[in-house]
Amino acid sequence: MYQSTTKSFRRALCVAAGLLPIAFSSAYAAENLGGDPSALSLRLSPAQYRQTIADIFGTNIVIDGRFEPEVREQGLLAIGARWANVSDTGMDRYDELARGIAAQVVSPKNRGTLISCKPKSETGADDACARAFISGYGRLLYRRTLSEQEVATRVKLAADATATTKDFYIGLSSVLSDMLISPNFLFRYRTVETDPTKPNEKRLDSYSKAAALSYFLWNSTPDDQLIKASEKGELQTAEGLRRQVDRMISSPAMESGIRAFFADMLHFSDFQTVAKDTTFFPRYTTKINDLAQEQTLRTIVDHVRANKDYRDLITTRSTYLTRSLAALYGVPLADTTDNGEPDRFISYTYPEGDPRAGILAQVSFIALNSHSARTSPTLRGKALRENLLCQTVPPPPGNVDFSAVENTSNQVLKTGRDRLLAHSASPACAGCHKITDPIGLALENFDAAGGFRTSENGAQIDTSGVLNSVKFKGVSDLLPLIRNDPALVSCVSRKIYAFGTGKMPPRASERGSEEWAAIEKKFGQDGYKVLNLMRQIALSDMFYAVSPVEVAAAK
Amino acid sequence: MDFRTTGFRVRAGLLAAAVVLPASGAMAAQTYGYVVSSLSTATWNDYNANCPQNINGHGLDVRRRDLIAIGLTPAEADKIVKGGDEESVPKDIAGRLIMRAMVNGKPASYYSAPEAVPNPPMIETVVGPQAFGFDLGGKATDSKFTDPDTGAKVDNQLWRAVGCSENFRFIPPSLPFTEEISWAVTIDTAPAWMLSITGEDLAKDGPVTVTFERATQHLERDANGNIMTHATYMIDPKGRSHNVLKGEIKNGFLTIATTDKFYLQSEMPFFPEIELNKAQLRFQVMPDGKLFGYWGGYTDWKRYAYMLTSRPGSGADVLGLYHALKRFADAAPDPKTGQNTQISMTFRMEAVPAFHMTLDSKVMASPAADASAVSAMMRKTPEARPKGGEEPPRLKTN
Repeated sequence: MYQSTTKSFRRALCVAAGLLPIAFSSAYAAENLGGDPSALSLRLSPAQYRQTIADIFGTNIVIDGRFEPEVREQGLLAIGARWANVSDTGMDRYDELARGIAAQVVSPKNRGTLISCKPKSETGADDACARAFISGYGRLLYRRTLSEQEVATRVKLAADATATTKDFYIGLSSVLSDMLISPNFLFRYRTVETDPTKPNEKRLDSYSKAAALSYFLWNSTPDDQLIKASEKGELQTAEGLRRQVDRMISSPAMESGIRAFFADMLHFSDFQTVAKDTTFFPRYTTKINDLAQEQTLRTIVDHVRANKDYRDLITTRSTYLTRSLAALYGVPLADTTDNGEPDRFISYTYPEGDPRAGILAQVSFIALNSHSARTSPTLRGKALRENLLCQTVPPPPGNVDFSAVENTSNQVLKTGRDRLLAHSASPACAGCHKITDPIGLALENFDAAGGFRTSENGAQIDTSGVLNSVKFKGVSDLLPLIRNDPALVSCVSRKIYAFGTGKMPPRASERGSEEWAAIEKKFGQDGYKVLNLMRQIALSDMFYAVSPVEVAAAK
Repeated sequence: MDFRTTGFRVRAGLLAAAVVLPASGAMAAQTYGYVVSSLSTATWNDYNANCPQNINGHGLDVRRRDLIAIGLTPAEADKIVKGGDEESVPKDIAGRLIMRAMVNGKPASYYSAPEAVPNPPMIETVVGPQAFGFDLGGKATDSKFTDPDTGAKVDNQLWRAVGCSENFRFIPPSLPFTEEISWAVTIDTAPAWMLSITGEDLAKDGPVTVTFERATQHLERDANGNIMTHATYMIDPKGRSHNVLKGEIKNGFLTIATTDKFYLQSEMPFFPEIELNKAQLRFQVMPDGKLFGYWGGYTDWKRYAYMLTSRPGSGADVLGLYHALKRFADAAPDPKTGQNTQISMTFRMEAVPAFHMTLDSKVMASPAADASAVSAMMRKTPEARPKGGEEPPRLKTN
């Protein structure tokens, strides 16, 4: 690595070279352009960053380090990405990541496959080879063809670094790490141009359309075909756009997009702080947090790619388990792997009527929305309402007394229901608990780690309740009610749109609301198939619509 | 992570809290599954009663005795032992220590020829009245112990031979030193052992069948490093370790009728195999659902001795143990020499609830829903412990 250049020197070098624009994030737009700041740029999420690097340089490049924290807005990190900035500390982290990646790319082990040319001398500059490297990877990293000036500046930087270090590859590494900390890589900019068919109107340019499509459907950078299509202007035609969208949806890379969206919607980033008390839950091993997310994502990917009704995810009996997960759930799993092989996922179907059916009974929902040593009907009810039904549950008042619900060994208030009733008797609490608790109490057969139980402190658990004026006896009755709730499909469609655009779709009477209504209607007519919905959104005008703020910024 | 997916699909319709198998009568049977989570030589360390002389010493005492046995003076031996480790023994002396046996007039390793060591050491052996075990029909009534659990007179001459050795001075759940190390290493790699209990109603007294199998997978650990409950183990179809034993639940115990041969294939560095003749078993369930009990029978004393003596550095007086085991062997005399080839012994076992499946995905046993499902064999009191104290007395050195 180009060790001789200090971080501040590199930054100064970049600024001097015009590589670090002043408007490092949308915050600049907020202050200087007025109005909605968020439409201008979206910061790559850690998952997008990783997927992008893997797609460009291969999966053997190790990304070792921490990312700038993400911001969740309106239930999605994808919306928070519009407001995401890069702090000084964050810059340090990105710099560290960039140096690590660049060093691996130019390492003797990888340079033969990742660098298409060989320098005339490894100790001296080779502008032609550096140019090929910079323009090739720059196009993939910046999601557009670099201008001649951008390439020339970086070729010179590489030559300067090589002159100092007497190592051509350190020169390349230096330039690559600078590109990796550039806002052109870390942020997706939406660039606006004049629409040639409507000279008074603006539209997204082809590169921005390609990036929007790619990160929406693949959660990664555009591939060569998509960039070529944008260079030819094909994405500005209905036929060209349709061709690319259909190609992308049928690609294996589509799985990344499905995973990224549902991981965001189900708040899987919160698993970073999930830990269970192993005194009570010894089967919750350190690998369960990862396995639980993987179980749910595999279940969803299978379901979505098979073009099944989205609503059936709530009741599906099909899933995937590993031996560890099966033990946690208390079900048998035939694993015929040779002794000593790592845990693997095996498809599994619950018997008819089994209460563990559906993604809401999986550890990824049950354990994520529980405390370390006890369940939380309130957290579970809140998560279901907010994350899957897009309903709002007000936050609790600041002076709540939780002592009643926290004492799980209470021999008078033996069950979660008993304790919650005592707690929510307070008028200040009762209102919100009426919203969350009936759903959450129906899930009380699942302990804080996801295991199944029928009693607590020796008392039978009562999972009955009422939802939308319909009485239910337990989770097996509740799930069909949730499955058939219109809010379930409305919520997922709105969030999928927001995942792709960074903002919720328009409400009735807002600009674009008619087109959105048509998309939602088609979603229902198609049988609530997620892939069809994503295709409709990707082909819609509203997905690429430019906001007044973007128009103003373009001026 | 390596998440590989297989194509085959488990049909979980087979499953229930307890697997229902057709029984000979009209009633369906229950089969509850377990996996062996701990196995070791059963110890009963009533230190003062067992070994009143307390003279066997620890590893350095054994080393000092060995050095004197090969001709060093006590002062020379003390000087070497003072170093406290293997490196403190000069190489030439270390060679002499090992090559103490004489075979055909030539020095040989005492690890491979312990019989051929002149004047082998005599170690202190157990004289206390109690030890776990079973009445295997041994005739020498004066050598029988009284079982702390059942009060019955039992045969366990292996404990008599080894029970005063330092590396057996442990109280459960701790295992004898050499076995603890071997077990801890083995369980993360070696295929596990499974057992299932089948009966019409395991909450009541009555006849049962106990089936042992070897699994195709090793034991799964939980978040605390213990053996995970409710994991699934696949039955090894080769069947070498398949044992079907008839027994009954009565008076709070599950016991089996004496079986001619009980065999389990094992792995090094633990016992290479477990083979008991005239085997008997006794199980109870603890309130947490764990199965707990003893296996007893006659085993080949030489195999057991080699298991012990093949571990240099264990600190044990391997020669002393070898000859003690030989001396107390109490069954199956060699027709030519008259020397008994087998010795009565007892293992202590723990097992946790588990699923058993065949490779074609048939569920053969499931965990009991809770301890009440096996209430007829529920232990009401804590595991029996000697009154002599938890900590062994300081060993006398000589």
